[in-house]
Amino acid sequence: MQAKGGGVVQRARVAGTSASRRAQKDPAWVRFSLTAFALIVVGLLIVVPISNVFAGALSEGIGVYWKNLAIDADTLHSILLTLTVVPLALAANIVFGVAAAWLISRFNFPGRTFLTALIDLPFSVSPVVAGLMFVLIFGLQGYAGPFLRRDGYAIMPFVVAALVVFLLVVAYLALRPMSPHLKKRGFWKIHPVVAVLGGGSAVFFVLVVVQQALGIWPQNTSLKIIFATPGLVLATAFVTFPFVARELIPVMDAVGPDEELAALSLGANGWQMFWHVTVPNVKWGLVYGVILCNARAMGEFGAVYVVSGHIAGQTDTMPLRIEKLFQEYNLPGSFAVASVLTMVAILTLFAKSKLESKVASVTTDPPTEASPP
Amino acid sequence: MSIVVKNVCKTFGNFHALDDVSVEVPDGSLLALLGPSGSGKTTLLRIIAGLEIADQGTVLHNGEDITEYSARERRVGFVFQHYALFRHMTIADNIGYGLRVRGVKKAERMARVEELLHLIRLDGYGPRYPSQLSGGQRQRVALARALASRPSVLLLDEPFGALDAKVRAELRQWLRRLHDEIHVTSVFVTHDQEEAFEVADRVVVMSEGRIEQIGSPAEVFEHPANAFVMDFLGNVNVFHGHVEAGKAVVPGLEVAYPDYPHEEARDAAVYVRPHDFMIERAPNGASSIEAVVLHVNPAGSRAKVELRASDTAQLINAELTEERFAELGLKSGDRVFVTARRARVFVPNYAI
Repeated sequence: MQAKGGGVVQRARVAGTSASRRAQKDPAWVRFSLTAFALIVVGLLIVVPISNVFAGALSEGIGVYWKNLAIDADTLHSILLTLTVVPLALAANIVFGVAAAWLISRFNFPGRTFLTALIDLPFSVSPVVAGLMFVLIFGLQGYAGPFLRRDGYAIMPFVVAALVVFLLVVAYLALRPMSPHLKKRGFWKIHPVVAVLGGGSAVFFVLVVVQQALGIWPQNTSLKIIFATPGLVLATAFVTFPFVARELIPVMDAVGPDEELAALSLGANGWQMFWHVTVPNVKWGLVYGVILCNARAMGEFGAVYVVSGHIAGQTDTMPLRIEKLFQEYNLPGSFAVASVLTMVAILTLFAKSKLESKVASVTTDPPTEASPP
Repeated sequence: MSIVVKNVCKTFGNFHALDDVSVEVPDGSLLALLGPSGSGKTTLLRIIAGLEIADQGTVLHNGEDITEYSARERRVGFVFQHYALFRHMTIADNIGYGLRVRGVKKAERMARVEELLHLIRLDGYGPRYPSQLSGGQRQRVALARALASRPSVLLLDEPFGALDAKVRAELRQWLRRLHDEIHVTSVFVTHDQEEAFEVADRVVVMSEGRIEQIGSPAEVFEHPANAFVMDFLGNVNVFHGHVEAGKAVVPGLEVAYPDYPHEEARDAAVYVRPHDFMIERAPNGASSIEAVVLHVNPAGSRAKVELRASDTAQLINAELTEERFAELGLKSGDRVFVTARRARVFVPNYAI
């Protein structure tokens, strides 16, 4: 009786699955035409143009390709300039991105949502406008322009002193002894607020005076920011500003603060907690953000175009050089530089798809295995 | 080492997580903070650990005021609810981390790690990663990590909350035995009264940021200080009525209540635990509730009987011993008389 009943149920289930499979499947012509359509679109819009870049670059032979890249002094300079500007902008964005992501995901403070929105701002501002902004501040007609032109290096002692004081304060906070008894001895007896404010301003003052007295920086010389490398770095950093922070915030949110708190309660100081726990936990997210940031920084055109002044052999980065060669009807030359950027893009894509699975495995909890013995 | 918490207050925005809380944890004892979610028990634990800063009040550690100390200066072992093991470190590195950041030499550290792995019965698991362990194993690793640098105080936040019932029961007994072996002053947070009673020496019942009662498990269970504690600790039947002239009167029941000798009636509630009911086929003269049996569940060591009072239609849960249940032979629809062997009376806003 029971076996019979079971058989009926089973047969019904088999019939059900095959029927539903048939129902879920579209007719063959729909499947094939949709697939073909997708392939044609991808081919026309992506594969053909990209192959064309390489075909154009190599159209006059590999010798010309090499000459276009390595012998042309202006092209070589543009490659070297990109290789200087991009790492500097990346370094600035890594430091800022990690700090901002940590602040936003670990602390609740007034203006937190505002800061989150502000980080996204460079995404929505047109790069040309971003470039123009810097021209308006640092350019000749800008607010700081006349001063920078007259005696620009006068600000350097202050910049250097501020950087040194910042590093010293971070070191002081990271190295403060954990034992309350040690704290009552010598230098550590000073109240932290007094130590940071008093010590910081004293060091700052001494450093500024020493630099001015020794005359390390040239006097009455103009400091060029616009139409020079510093402007390029500023513009590139601004445009690629959100990438690292935006990648890190969700990863840090997913990891949560518990492991960091555990490290602290086990006796780690802030520095140890950061390097032993925070960084290993978010490293794939960080690498992923850096890769995206790098790709965007290499290819940045609009903002850089405005602040660079487009001087061949001086302020032309790779994308600017491509445009200039193209305007000069030097198609193989322009395609040669373009092929280098394209290869960087393809490499980025590979690295990105490799890393995506690793980032995903951080944000989801690892599976639980069998029960304990 | 003993911990004393004095007049601690903590608010999150408008929410009063802790409202003037004072607790004393004697040296070497195992104390449970018991309460429903949102009662502030975890906040109190985190304040003791230094992971949260109290708005007011002081925390003393063996007489020393540690209110201003940061988490790493307090040298307490803290076990997180979801373990918070370092996922990129091996089990051995996890356990040894506290020693590593305190500058203990590698050889000494490895010896201590081996010792702890043996203590938590995970010998040979050192090279594995936390994701390769089950929940119960991870919980024991978290405990070993907290114990590695020999803290004077061990704090556990819902230590068994995320485990299944069987592993939980095992770990509970194991924690009790461990505490008897190493005698470290311990505080743990739980919302499970059975867990608190089984493991702890003393229980602190909390609700809405205040302490409702402190005492040994037996004291708290036998002499609940108020209606909340009575209600929170296990099943209870509540009958609403009034008190007057030394007795509490609810429909069908009369309970002596000498604490209220006044003639003027006051609202009151009578609380009866299911196992304190007696069921009779016929009225025996004492005050009793006439009721109809709705449902019987003879599974388990005690038979559970669900009844409905005939005149008030109130549902009553009663528990009978197996023998008594067999003797009565109850089934649904039977008409019976229910009397309370023991009952507690609580008068709202009236000191008992």
